[in-house]
Amino acid sequence: MPFAPVPQAFKSSLKEVVIGAGESAVALGGENVLPLYSFDAPIKNRPKVGIEISDLGPDRSLPELAKFYEGASSAAELAARACAAPGADFVCLWLEGADPNGEDRDVADCVKICREVAEASPLPLAVQGCGSPDKDARLFEKIAEALQGRNVLLLSAKEENYKGIAVAAVTAYGQKIAAESSVDINLAKQLNVLISQLGIAGDSTVMHLGASAAGYGFEYIASTTDRVRLAALAQNDAALQMPVIAPVAADAWSVKESVMSEDEFPEWGPVERRGADMEICTASAMIAAGANAVIVRHPRSAAAVAELISALL
Amino acid sequence: MKLLFDRVFDGAGEMLAMAEKEIAAATAELGEAAPISMPNTAYSLACHNAYLGKQIRNVSELARGFSEAKEWASGERRLGGAFNAGFATFMAAEAIEACKYARSPDPYGGEYHGHMSDAEVRELGVPLVTGDIPGFVVIIGSAPSDEEAVELIRGYQSRAIFVFLIGGIIGQARRQNLNMGFPVRVVAVGPDIWCAAHIISFVNRAAMIFGAVKPGDREAFDHYTFHRIRAFVNAFRPVPDIVVASGGGAIAMGFPVVTDDAADMWPVPKSLIIQQNTADFIETSLEARDIKIKVSKIDIPVAYSTAFEGEIVRRADMRADMDGSRSDCFELVVSKEAHEIEDHSIELIGPDIDEAEPGARTSIGFVCEVAGKAMQSDFEPVFERKFHNFINCVEGVMHTGQRDTIHIRVSKAAFDAGFRARHFGEVLYAKVKSEYESVVDKCAVKIYTVPEQLKELRAKATEIYNRRDERLGSLTDESVDVFYDCILCQSFSPAHVCIVTPERLGLCGAVSWLDAKATNELDANGPCQRVSKQRVVDENIGIWEDVNERVREASHGSLEQVTLYSIMVDPMTSCGCFECICGIEPFSNGVVIVNREHDGMTPLGMTFSEMASMTGGGVQTPGFMGHGKQFISSAKFMKAEGGPARIVWMPKALKETVGAKLNGTAARLYGIDDFVSMIADETVTEDAEALLEFLGGSGHPVLGMEPLL
Repeated sequence: MPFAPVPQAFKSSLKEVVIGAGESAVALGGENVLPLYSFDAPIKNRPKVGIEISDLGPDRSLPELAKFYEGASSAAELAARACAAPGADFVCLWLEGADPNGEDRDVADCVKICREVAEASPLPLAVQGCGSPDKDARLFEKIAEALQGRNVLLLSAKEENYKGIAVAAVTAYGQKIAAESSVDINLAKQLNVLISQLGIAGDSTVMHLGASAAGYGFEYIASTTDRVRLAALAQNDAALQMPVIAPVAADAWSVKESVMSEDEFPEWGPVERRGADMEICTASAMIAAGANAVIVRHPRSAAAVAELISALL
Repeated sequence: MKLLFDRVFDGAGEMLAMAEKEIAAATAELGEAAPISMPNTAYSLACHNAYLGKQIRNVSELARGFSEAKEWASGERRLGGAFNAGFATFMAAEAIEACKYARSPDPYGGEYHGHMSDAEVRELGVPLVTGDIPGFVVIIGSAPSDEEAVELIRGYQSRAIFVFLIGGIIGQARRQNLNMGFPVRVVAVGPDIWCAAHIISFVNRAAMIFGAVKPGDREAFDHYTFHRIRAFVNAFRPVPDIVVASGGGAIAMGFPVVTDDAADMWPVPKSLIIQQNTADFIETSLEARDIKIKVSKIDIPVAYSTAFEGEIVRRADMRADMDGSRSDCFELVVSKEAHEIEDHSIELIGPDIDEAEPGARTSIGFVCEVAGKAMQSDFEPVFERKFHNFINCVEGVMHTGQRDTIHIRVSKAAFDAGFRARHFGEVLYAKVKSEYESVVDKCAVKIYTVPEQLKELRAKATEIYNRRDERLGSLTDESVDVFYDCILCQSFSPAHVCIVTPERLGLCGAVSWLDAKATNELDANGPCQRVSKQRVVDENIGIWEDVNERVREASHGSLEQVTLYSIMVDPMTSCGCFECICGIEPFSNGVVIVNREHDGMTPLGMTFSEMASMTGGGVQTPGFMGHGKQFISSAKFMKAEGGPARIVWMPKALKETVGAKLNGTAARLYGIDDFVSMIADETVTEDAEALLEFLGGSGHPVLGMEPLL
């Protein structure tokens, strides 16, 4: 008997969130099938790849990365370089230096850097905070104001600070935000509901469901992402239909495989190669689990993940 | 006496006449085509834009807008008409101000703030929408004295309320050298009542920016301002008609007006309030607009953190020892009417800690009075049970027990740092206000330390405890309209959902129906949601279509149906934190219950852990079920299979814990006395055959019941 495929497209679909403005703007989400199931129905927007730069500059001890950013010192120069990396759909500025426990760069300086990076980037911009809920809230409000019209994505609004960030960034200045929760479908849903109660439509929010490197408790985030996609499509749960973004760089580059020196583990090969491999594994697995965008640090990772996506879709 | 409606219409007439004159003067001076605009805004004249849906660009358009506004003020002298007249007053006021700005881009030259830019609207709008600024006040006129003016402004500032000033009070504040400006949240808007147009313009732009309200949709503006903008007006006497007309507009927007002018004034509940004591303006206003002030820090001389929760104060280190098992101590939460409580009042009645000998045993009683529109007396015990956590988190203070069995110790170190009895009140006040923000508007604490008085108060408290227990006992699944679900455990058991009913508490034993209800009221988007019980399928085994729908949704499709009262048909699932597990015992047709603490064998040939492995994880295993200890004595315990009469074996310790209540239930349901003695335990046997023998000997009712399988 011949095989007759039965397409399983769902009646519900993910919301579509656009970041950036003009020709380079990218759309995330929008599909009505399980991740990469293009045989069930066409996938409206293929998963996107963001490339991360830090305001503190790249790790120049990694030869390939150092070479890639050679001669680029300011965040704006780094951003311009990152935008030219093959496979990159958008650039993500990580305000690592804003951390109150680190450099504690003040808000005005951060805003200035964001402005310069936005000027220098032909691709859409995402801005990742330093992780301190209080500092991020103050930062994002000012960044949202300064970058009006650029339609940037701010990562992330959490339970502790979502109100100020959501109202300022989205309602007052028309930007996009990521709602970050920690590996729990109910917490993710609750945060989305709370944000929507501020009068913010679903096409302004993406979900950041938490992150971990492949092999480091990754199954939790994978199954959460899985369940979120199923709830969004199979159960038509509007509070979970936002696209998912997975910033995997920080986790992938901080595990043992990515940091141990080659002197200690000669059989493992060069550090940089290992770190990029961790990043590629994690990002690919997140895309398979249902991420609509991933953020990686290494240009090699961006190229590899983009190649994988075009090979599959 | 002049009627309130007449005052509004007369006032509106005055403002309109003034606007007409100004527009005529502007037309003569600048010409009909002269541009009209406010600086730094994309919303043109925001009041005209909001109410008429029209952008005013030049003098002639302003004149046309004016004739429309005039019609708004010519309606019937009734409520709707008065509200319209109020809006007409605002448009007329905006027209007057617009003419000023048409002549000069900066008519106030820094002396007054005047028009607010869109950037300022956003800057102030964000914290207003998020609640970081709890609201704003518009103060109009002159306070009785300069000092009182400043005291009022500072009072609002200290509560983080944004202050707009119009008229005489600005001069008063300047004479007292009060620092003013946007950064300090006190803005001198302008000298005359028509300057109020700038504030209304701000509000309307906020509605357009943050609420996406469409110009011209006045109802949507009213709805937005009423629900989202926590504003109110304080007007000092004398209040002329023109201010009354503006007040009418403010009230229509949902902003109450509080005034000390009683002459020709008609109080309207919640909207127009006469408060002749100006010192009480703040309290009256906040209450009228339902504004709650957040408590941000606990005012005590020692640290406060969950890190100190498990801290033990040993006898050698203690300065004060209050022991409810040896003297009269108690904790009590009582709800009151709002007017009966002065918020943040902390009263110590009796000697303080330092008046007793070091280490001496004393007694203490806390009465925490709370008031709030959404407060229910069912929440009292929920708050009260948290006192243990609240007080335990104080560095150098230990707290155990609840109700009248509390035991508190204060360490020498905490005492030396300055900790006194009053600080218990500060802790309870701050925690109750912040943790239960959504229901507690006001909170006051009384601390009693006189032994004779405590004896009397404890007796009264005991009456209240008893009444509460009766209330809890009288709640049945039939007597309530809703159940609650609880998905707190889904972080580690993703498919599990508890349905909590008055007679079936959560299987962890920690979430009763009242707890779930309180959790829901306090956090509407939290882990406990209301589950209706309208569509009954089978009341005997406990199937409701509503319940099934919720279970399907909350388990994200893993479960299709649960029964509330059966262990054999679609039993409720378990996460893994069950207090007890019951499983069927096939020889006797009964069930064995084992609690988590029991580590021995059971007649099923399985230990608790072995049974747990088949029961947890959100799966339905007919014949096995996790549940709370209190559920054992419930009339709904496996009601479908005959109820608690099925219980044939329990560990001895569990029998002791639930025995009295279970006996009561058995007497009520089956007329059996001392039912617990018919149930075997580990001292009788852990063997199935011996169990059957014992049951025959004890005359256990299960032997006459239908087979389970």
